[in-house]
Amino acid sequence: MAAVTIDSLLQNPSLLFRPKAKVLLKPPRSLDCSRNRKLPLSRGSCLCSFNPRRTIHVVRASSSETALIGNFDTSSSDDILYKDIFPVKRIEKVEGKFFIRLDRSKDQHDWQLTVGCSLPGKWILHWGVSYLGDGGSEWDQPPKGMRPPGSIPIKDYAIETPLKKLSEGDIFHEVKIDFNPISEIAAIHFVLKDEETGAWYQHRGMDFKVPLVDYLEDDGNTVGAKRGFGVWSGAVTGQYRIMSQVAYFLVIYRIPSEPTLGDVGALQQFSNVLLKSEASHAGSQNNSIESKDSKNKNRYLEGFYEEQSIVKEVSVGNLVSVAVRKSPETGKVIVCLETDIPGDVVVHWGVCRDDAKIWEIPAAPYPPETTVFKNKALRTLLQPKATGNRSGALFTLDEEHFGFLFVLKLDDNTWLKFKENDFYVPLLGTSNVPGQYGQSDSTSEEISSKSYTDGIINEIRNLVSGLSSEKSQKTKTKEVQESILQEIEQLAAEAYSIFRSSITTVPEEVVSETETTKPAVKISSGTGTGFEILCQGFNWESHKSRRWYMELKEKASEISSLGFTVIWLPPPTESVSPEGYMPKDLYNLNSRYGTIDELKELVKSLHEVGMKVLGDVVLNHRCAHFKNQNGVWNIFGGRLNWDDRAVVADDPHFQGRGNKSSGDNFHAAPNIDHSQEFVRKDLKEWLGWLREEIGYDGWRLDFVRGFWGGYVKDYLEASEPYFAVGEYWDSLSYTYGEMDHNQDSHRQRIVDWINATNGTAGAFDVTTKGILHSALERCEYWRLSDQKGKPPGVVGWWPSRAVTFIENHDTGSTQGHWRFPGGKEMQGYAYILTHPGTPAVFYDHIFSHHRSEIANLISVRNRNGIHCRSLVKIVKAERDVYAAIIDEKVAMKIGPGYYEPPSGSQRWSLALEGRDYKEGCRPSLIILFASAIVVPFFTQKYVGVID
Amino acid sequence: MLSRLFGCFILQLNRIRLFAGLPLDAVSGGSVNHFRAISAGLKALKLLGLEGVELPIWWGVVEHESMGKYNWSGYLTIAEMVRKAGLKLNVTLCFHASSQPKIPLPEWVLDIGKTKSNIFFKDRAGKPYRGCLSLAVDELAVLNGKTPMEVYQDFCESFKSAFSAFIGSTITGITMGLGPDGELRYPSHRGFAKSDTVPGAGEFQCYDKNMLHLLKQHAEACGKPKWGLGGPHNAPAYSELPTANTFFKDHGGSWESPYGDFFLSWYSSQLIAHGDRLLSLASSVFSDSAVNIFGKVPLMHSWHGTRSHPSELTAGFYNTATRKGYEEVAEMFARNSCKIILPGMDQSDKYQLKESLSSPESLLAEIGTACKKYGVGISGQNSTVGAPDGLKQIKKNMLSENLNDSFIFQRIGAQFFAPEHFPLFIEFVGKLNQPELHSGNLPTKEGTTTATDSVHTRSNLSIHMQSA
Repeated sequence: MAAVTIDSLLQNPSLLFRPKAKVLLKPPRSLDCSRNRKLPLSRGSCLCSFNPRRTIHVVRASSSETALIGNFDTSSSDDILYKDIFPVKRIEKVEGKFFIRLDRSKDQHDWQLTVGCSLPGKWILHWGVSYLGDGGSEWDQPPKGMRPPGSIPIKDYAIETPLKKLSEGDIFHEVKIDFNPISEIAAIHFVLKDEETGAWYQHRGMDFKVPLVDYLEDDGNTVGAKRGFGVWSGAVTGQYRIMSQVAYFLVIYRIPSEPTLGDVGALQQFSNVLLKSEASHAGSQNNSIESKDSKNKNRYLEGFYEEQSIVKEVSVGNLVSVAVRKSPETGKVIVCLETDIPGDVVVHWGVCRDDAKIWEIPAAPYPPETTVFKNKALRTLLQPKATGNRSGALFTLDEEHFGFLFVLKLDDNTWLKFKENDFYVPLLGTSNVPGQYGQSDSTSEEISSKSYTDGIINEIRNLVSGLSSEKSQKTKTKEVQESILQEIEQLAAEAYSIFRSSITTVPEEVVSETETTKPAVKISSGTGTGFEILCQGFNWESHKSRRWYMELKEKASEISSLGFTVIWLPPPTESVSPEGYMPKDLYNLNSRYGTIDELKELVKSLHEVGMKVLGDVVLNHRCAHFKNQNGVWNIFGGRLNWDDRAVVADDPHFQGRGNKSSGDNFHAAPNIDHSQEFVRKDLKEWLGWLREEIGYDGWRLDFVRGFWGGYVKDYLEASEPYFAVGEYWDSLSYTYGEMDHNQDSHRQRIVDWINATNGTAGAFDVTTKGILHSALERCEYWRLSDQKGKPPGVVGWWPSRAVTFIENHDTGSTQGHWRFPGGKEMQGYAYILTHPGTPAVFYDHIFSHHRSEIANLISVRNRNGIHCRSLVKIVKAERDVYAAIIDEKVAMKIGPGYYEPPSGSQRWSLALEGRDYKEGCRPSLIILFASAIVVPFFTQKYVGVID
Repeated sequence: MLSRLFGCFILQLNRIRLFAGLPLDAVSGGSVNHFRAISAGLKALKLLGLEGVELPIWWGVVEHESMGKYNWSGYLTIAEMVRKAGLKLNVTLCFHASSQPKIPLPEWVLDIGKTKSNIFFKDRAGKPYRGCLSLAVDELAVLNGKTPMEVYQDFCESFKSAFSAFIGSTITGITMGLGPDGELRYPSHRGFAKSDTVPGAGEFQCYDKNMLHLLKQHAEACGKPKWGLGGPHNAPAYSELPTANTFFKDHGGSWESPYGDFFLSWYSSQLIAHGDRLLSLASSVFSDSAVNIFGKVPLMHSWHGTRSHPSELTAGFYNTATRKGYEEVAEMFARNSCKIILPGMDQSDKYQLKESLSSPESLLAEIGTACKKYGVGISGQNSTVGAPDGLKQIKKNMLSENLNDSFIFQRIGAQFFAPEHFPLFIEFVGKLNQPELHSGNLPTKEGTTTATDSVHTRSNLSIHMQSA
């Protein structure tokens, strides 16, 4: 029988796919034995006053815990018209344990490393070893004897071994690796992989490393060392487009209690694994593989056991069951909906009149906890059932309705649909011939208006009798009242039927509408409003006058009037170099740019003209005040008088006593060890002070390659900037001196960094700048489209976090480390100021002959409401021309080649064009129109040209 | 005869006249939509004893094609239907656009807007609002050499001559459209309000070229030229919470600073001046007609519980915990002998999202007090979004001092006549006449005022009305 199948389904909550189980009942008599209970249906108070007679019989099921369908037993099972069970999938967090154990095997000679995980999944240990005397972090394959059965070699450096349950009753999937401590093996390295989801789990962004000899250098990823586990995770957040191609890793410093996702959507497609930070040390006396400080220089191995909790998001199968029956008393149709989904479940529902399944709101009454949603649907919170973990609701509907439509909203704001569609339960087809399921199209207007008429007459009669008894002194004869009311009722019915038939309902996706709250309104530090345009407010020479703050103040309103919303000021601290990038005393804000008071004055004037102000903060390194005993400069003074523990250990120049750097080193000054709690605390305080004292709204973060993005997230969450952007600048990929077309690995590194900040910061789109260099300089405009037809820079992958630019104080100005091709600047700006991302314009370009053209471009951007998430459609990326249409509003082209926007529904008109007087890439051609931006006219959506 | 009997039985609406709004799209092109439905509906309403109906007349329908070319035929047909049904008519002259159903501004106006987007309000991002013209162009000759005020005046005069047979008899009220959704306000919120999300603070709309120019002039006149470069930089965006930035901060927010006062005074005075221009125009055009002139004031009740009242400020009402901003509004209405239409009478405090610190009831009372002070009559409306227990709340308001002229129930259509609604409406109409039976539901204070003072007040007002 059907119920049996369902029982088994329920006991298997992790089932992923279930065929839709349809249960059409010739109701079995045996179900009749359940207890009956009459419940008056709660109704709106107004209606109650004149129609108290109406009751609905709700019948509770027996207390069977598992038989969901049992709850649909009714007083008379003959009334059941339709039953259906819809399997649904949703994402649920499952918590489990993860452990690493090193101990002696039974014979006391060999040792054994055990890795176990209690979460369901197809776990694979991806591992290798390193030998004594090996430098670097290369893996080798372990000797054959060490490989557990079932291991598969991966190329020549690793082994994959599945984790298994030793017996069915075991909680943990385990893998045991036996080894002989006398061997030459220095350490076992591994990462863990869940084949089911494709997620990887690493340790601090690197592999786990279990050292087997005690004099191994601790390079930060050792497990079982005194620090215990660092906090790590293989969280998969952010850019799902990238996720699908590249398995990449993310280390999160502090796991928030709720995982926050960078972009919506990733969650549903990828399982997400987070490891919680509380590492539990079992048997602390065993926990001493550690080494460096230990005086024992012999190879004495000690066992340890470490355990952590781990959270994985898996999809879970649940059921939604629906039964429809007809109430013999009222003739109404009652839909009974139930589910075993835990938590608050809201049914977003409506009815439809025909096969088109257009949502409508049915007549009251509605179940308790029902609200009307935008006149399009109703929302009912399912009430928990007395028994079991189920919730449900009863919906009473007039029999004329054709079908019942719904989707479910879970308490984590996810929506559940049925195979991409609304859930649909036929009503009408069943009501004509009870017990039989079939489509019936006999709903003529006549029938429904007849039932309507009867309904309303009853209602009004009740009203009249109520009123007349209350005002008996004014009694009129019953007949007269009746006839008047009938006349009103008939007129109303007539008006109703005509109005109703003339409603042109726009079929709107109910669910999608609630989800389209997205663009550009929410301010986050990664994007600002989404409509930001950045001005870099200095160049490499700005310090020379020693009164830059005052000079810039004079220009504040001018800069604002050009349309900039955010300005980036130079690094404000005392610095060993005049430009400010070699900070010393972070709390001393008197610099070559001016005094702290002048800075405050400047910030105030910038605020007055409506701009947000970014401080340039150098967090990667800091110049010391004093030497240590070896004569090395690594002791700091000033308010933050750190000692050499604040300096990373792996830069020999500065003899830091901190941990290994979490990023690349900047070799000109001591690199700060952000893994030190006291350092982070001080930096957070400092940022907070800058916000309060100076009024900075956000940050430009210098050299963020030097330390892990997770720390940046920490700083940003503490200082709550309006906007933040990091400088992650490394080299693009070149082959034989020529830039590769595919710069995915380059942009991936930047995206990884943004991801590590959890999207709390944007990053300069170095990739786009580099590609523009080649495209414009060499007339290779085809480079401006990647293999998937998207922009090839960060802006193509994560536009909202890409801060596009063509020049800054390092690349251009008087340094010219990587100058934008001369004469092509306006093409560059035409690109970044029309494209998504947050464009940044360099000071030198604003105050140059490009000024008016830049102002025009900004104006086009603002008038058309182009923002950091605008959609770009590349229409041409050929040798000599690149053209794109942004948000269907702005068409742009750069390059000497020909392009004309499509004619058709949109009329386009020229908004701006630029001329390139330089000789182009092909000397035989004269390039006159190097850039042209075209703005369309079209009726409703049209948004301004230059007035 | 039936209606007379019925009238004795259910209706004694002599205190508050009850109107029902006709569908927004009653006329499109030159013809009446749902003619039969409207005529059946009119009869039903008459039987129920309603005073009349409200009819929205759209600028975008009548003067659709070109400036000065008016097509009144559909609306004339309806006026005739209303007259035949024995009902009164309150027309609303809509100089704004409707999004649902879609009724844009006249095509020729939109055409002009294509090249001169500064005839529209703009927000900080420079996005124009195409639902009505910016008040800053009221007296600039931006419409083919005419000012919008002149165009509005021509429209009103054409209306007056086309409907001369109805004005003063069937047509007893004319509501002047004053801005977005016909309301006296800036389009500080764009898009639809969602009933289940906390509304944002809204945005100031002073960024079209002409507004900015006026602001600059004003700032210079005040000796603070730097204050005239743009709107407040630290105001949050549309759907952001007021706390998202510092302008509306409850304590020490910029709204309380000298700059805040400078800006808000200017911003609200511009709006009031605009209302004054339109209402005095209407008063003068219809000065010799026996009609009441109305203007609609919005009920910006979100965030009313904060000190700064962000929603009211961005909409153009300089009304805060420390400033009675509606007095200037009421005074302006009084100056033009116009009455106020207040929507949102179905909204009650208890159904508001707690997070939005919203209080429709106390805001209504505040506006009511201001109107009372200046003797401005109030006509109520329900909100278009609807509200739980809305009819109950309307009844409560109709029996309180918040309302003393008429009530316009919005709006007839399928939903209005639907079996789940219409019986409730009949009941509502019935109960209006028997407040004493239900005073148990009401706070005792209101129960007693209903019985004595307010009846007195209302009868005075109804005399005033008849003589008007």
